[in-house]
Amino acid sequence: MILFKPAVRRALGWATIVALIALALFGLWGAPPDSIQGDAQRLMYLHVPTAWVAYLAFMVTAVASALWLWPRTRAMVWDRVAGASAEIGVLFTALTLILGSLWGRPVWGVWWAWDARLVTTAVLFFLYVGYLALRRVPAAPDARAKRSAIAALIAFADVPIVHFSVEWWRTLHQQASVFDPSLKANITGVMALTLWLGALAFTLLYVYLLDRRYRLAALEENMEEHELATAIAERQAGAGTPGPATMSRSINPELSQ
Amino acid sequence: MERKRRRSIFAVGLCAVAVVAVIILGVVLSGNVVYYRTVTEAVDSRGAQGDSRLRIAGAVVPGSVTETKKGVDFDITDGKTTVNVVHQGDPPELFKADAPVVCEGAWGGGKNFDSDRIMIRHGNEYQPPKVDTDKAPSIS
Repeated sequence: MILFKPAVRRALGWATIVALIALALFGLWGAPPDSIQGDAQRLMYLHVPTAWVAYLAFMVTAVASALWLWPRTRAMVWDRVAGASAEIGVLFTALTLILGSLWGRPVWGVWWAWDARLVTTAVLFFLYVGYLALRRVPAAPDARAKRSAIAALIAFADVPIVHFSVEWWRTLHQQASVFDPSLKANITGVMALTLWLGALAFTLLYVYLLDRRYRLAALEENMEEHELATAIAERQAGAGTPGPATMSRSINPELSQ
Repeated sequence: MERKRRRSIFAVGLCAVAVVAVIILGVVLSGNVVYYRTVTEAVDSRGAQGDSRLRIAGAVVPGSVTETKKGVDFDITDGKTTVNVVHQGDPPELFKADAPVVCEGAWGGGKNFDSDRIMIRHGNEYQPPKVDTDKAPSIS
């Protein structure tokens, strides 16, 4: 029912806090301001790592969904991991959009532009909001897991489109600095170090959040099963007809949350 | 009944999300995939363009920037072609000579481009400010 042992989880939590504090120190004081953008460029140390975590989260959702669909590896653990990871992915996609907007205003001069990178990212956000809504449609656990897994694999098609949009089309958004196809170093020294530190800190945060969300999902399922068992026991004990309240509680998992 | 209603609310919600996604995708595919044109492309297609709006990208030509009552007047170039831009409104903070800009607007009556929106299209290179060695006191 848990992803990590409590000791591992605690260590992960502390490592996340330390990495985030280090990122704040490097991002605000350690790294020099950019020669053109000045201090506004520091938003990069949050914007790029949150975008990375969004990609990572949706990748984990896709892999977990594939593992659920593959009969030999089918287990509810993959369905839970897929759902938990997608929820974190949606959160970080929203953060990426907000931080990008805050960075765009002082540098580009606009909060938003209808260019390919920004629009495909917004589509990514809505695709996974749709995925989360689909997960909430009441159904038997297996049926829900199956349709969610298929939806997750379809939605993942947008992730490479988002990433390569800046190479495929002319956009206001700049091209990738780190995963530049020409392998040119566009960012070096303390600036590059801070960027990598940001990626590390946010990856740790992602793993920690995934563990917590997974645990919550498992507990919710437990509670549903428990309530269902209680309802059945009550019905068997009482010889009369079951009350309408008991009926709807045992049938509809949504009501018992 | 309660269950059916919830289900239909979810179905409607899903459809709404799908519709929003399709509309956004439609906006992308309808000509916005190319966010801007180079100065040469814009000048070549000027006749067909008419009064409709477009975006032109280029670098601000040093020495061409003059402030006007309503905004700023300057030239942008892509290395091959140069065009005069008459902008209404305040230019963004990072606007200066050699800055890579995207101007949004339409062709004016004369040879100039009437812009009402300037965006800075900065690159993907980041570096600390260089110390001006000409002005800095020498150590030796």
